[in-house]
Amino acid sequence: MTPSSIEESVIHPIANPRSIAFFGASNNFTAMGTAIMGSILSLGYKGNLYPIHPKEETVQGIQAFKQVSDLAHAPDLAFIVLPTKIVCQTLEACGQKGIRHAIIVSAGFNEVGGDGKALQNKLTAIADKYGIRFLGPNCIGVVNSHQNLNATFLPYEASKGFIGMASQSGSFITQMFSYMARFGIGFSTGFSVGNEANVDIVDCMEYLGACPHTKVIALYIESIRRGRAFIEAAKAIIPHKPIVAFYVGGSEEGGRAGFSHTGALAGPDPLYNGVFRQSGIIRARSIEEMFDLCYALGASPPAPGNRVIIQTHSGGPGAVAADACGRNGIKLPPLSPKTLEKLMPLVPHTGSMANPVDLTFSKNPLDFFQTIPGILLEDENTDGLLVYFLASPGMIQVALKGMGVPGDQAEEQANAIITQQAHAIANLQKGSPKPIIGYSFLTRDDSLLIRALQDAGMVVLPSPERGARAMWALTEYKRLKEKLLAST
Amino acid sequence: MEVIQTALERGVPALSEHQSKVVLGAWGIPTTREELVHGAKEAVAAADTIGYPVVLKACSPYLMHKSEKGCIRFNLNTPRQVQQAYHDITGSVDVEIDGILVQETIQGQRELVMGLTRDPQFGPCVMLGLGGTATEIFKDSVFRVAPFDRIEALDMINELRSKAMLGPFRGQEQADLLTICQALVAIGTMALDHPEISEIDINPLIIDPKGRVTAVDALVVL
Repeated sequence: MTPSSIEESVIHPIANPRSIAFFGASNNFTAMGTAIMGSILSLGYKGNLYPIHPKEETVQGIQAFKQVSDLAHAPDLAFIVLPTKIVCQTLEACGQKGIRHAIIVSAGFNEVGGDGKALQNKLTAIADKYGIRFLGPNCIGVVNSHQNLNATFLPYEASKGFIGMASQSGSFITQMFSYMARFGIGFSTGFSVGNEANVDIVDCMEYLGACPHTKVIALYIESIRRGRAFIEAAKAIIPHKPIVAFYVGGSEEGGRAGFSHTGALAGPDPLYNGVFRQSGIIRARSIEEMFDLCYALGASPPAPGNRVIIQTHSGGPGAVAADACGRNGIKLPPLSPKTLEKLMPLVPHTGSMANPVDLTFSKNPLDFFQTIPGILLEDENTDGLLVYFLASPGMIQVALKGMGVPGDQAEEQANAIITQQAHAIANLQKGSPKPIIGYSFLTRDDSLLIRALQDAGMVVLPSPERGARAMWALTEYKRLKEKLLAST
Repeated sequence: MEVIQTALERGVPALSEHQSKVVLGAWGIPTTREELVHGAKEAVAAADTIGYPVVLKACSPYLMHKSEKGCIRFNLNTPRQVQQAYHDITGSVDVEIDGILVQETIQGQRELVMGLTRDPQFGPCVMLGLGGTATEIFKDSVFRVAPFDRIEALDMINELRSKAMLGPFRGQEQADLLTICQALVAIGTMALDHPEISEIDINPLIIDPKGRVTAVDALVVL
């Protein structure tokens, strides 16, 4: 069941602990536990942290406790990064203390087979005895940027974002921190679910569905264990929040023994494809695409339809975007007579007022960022804009210097102009129910313009194809949502 | 259903083609006009009633892939051909049969496949795909977990790469999409109501030039 508020979620304390008993951190900086506790401290976690260590008086400058029973109160969460053989007894001690939530990073359970399976059964039995809900084992932890909680071993470099993720690979939580930072986006909350011995990807999805900081949910899936619960959970979330999944492991064929042709064709890939589609989940074709689509779906309104105008001032990038739109089922309608009438005074004779609209250069720089996209958005035959961004501060500085502005002032003025332009188009987006997706071959590290646009809330992706694909996702989300709402 | 119950008591691995169609027909899926006969004269009488050309097939719960075992004779246009086919099939078949099925010939170039499989994680899954001999070459097939409604069934059709085939196509009328959707929904409901059914194949489901759909061969595995 999707909780009606995030506090009601059974796993809320896993992502929002007010206090943590930490097992496995020491002053030995090569230990995994030490690194994770370091991450928690460096992101500025506001809750109470209680390192539990048999020998140390302090761990990383914080008072340590010999055993969990020495604590005055039961903390919200136990974080366990200990050798496999002492995990069960540690969870037992936590249960006795009254701790009801845990994250178990330690590996060596179901994933190794044999004795590991027996050990995992023992672990879940202990949890059941005390009513403990735990994430893992064999997971990488959790990150909740809005609580300044980074309980993973890599530093959190991304922003306080809107992408909520549940992942069956820990790597796609932690190793995406810097990747997301390249777009100025970040996780709201990210769960590495590990072996899913107790809390599984469906529990995390339901939590993220109720999470107010999460505007879009990303799932990395290798195998869904609670199939029917997964579908029901997704269907309950889709009407108010999009979900994007990347599924891997779908290439094996004919795993099912049976007599029928149907059974022979039911490889995991087509099956998961159907599951996603009927659940209203958008399936991404790569990890990069999953983050692209989450970025666009979280930052932009859904497209009311599939008709788009491309605005560019360079022919090639416009043509490539048009080609990519075609392959993604996006239509490029001609501009309406009313739009043409408003546009004519603004477009030089070298430009084109077909679709793509190629301005070549604009008479007034703000036209490109405000007046023209404003006119195009109002076109009754369009549902969204794809805009190519090229201008870099360097170009503007050269122009300013040419106009006689001294060097140091030129830089300052160029930056001011760029910020103003970025805000102009971002404000246009905020006031419109139609999405504007930007694309550019520049990144936020190359260009202040891209940085300013992204920081102002505009989606800017690194190529025409990726921009067009993101626009497709905005139309697809609307289609999937309407299909679910129409079903009884 | 009685036919399923009887088969379970008999201990057979599947329903025969004829029994399978009785079950599917009861769920509103259009099937071929056909008659199960036990003699050459009876076969001719059935063919006269159904109308030529007819198809003759060995009918048995032990024959799951008939075409591979030479148990079918197509395009029989005269009583004499029907008689001959009857003797040929009864003489060559090496398993216990319920009789010989005399079946109308459905003309149509467009073929679909539909079916049911059960997945350990997701439960009953319904399939729609490009049918006939192309099924395993193109693997143009889509799945949904039951239950689902007609809107979702229509989305299955839209997901097929070969969906254009179902529209007006080379002088043939658009396929009866509503009946296709209802059949898909029915297979899902059937699976939920009858856990004793483990798999279903309808292959081919032929679309005639008027757009009408008919299950021409069917297999219900228990």
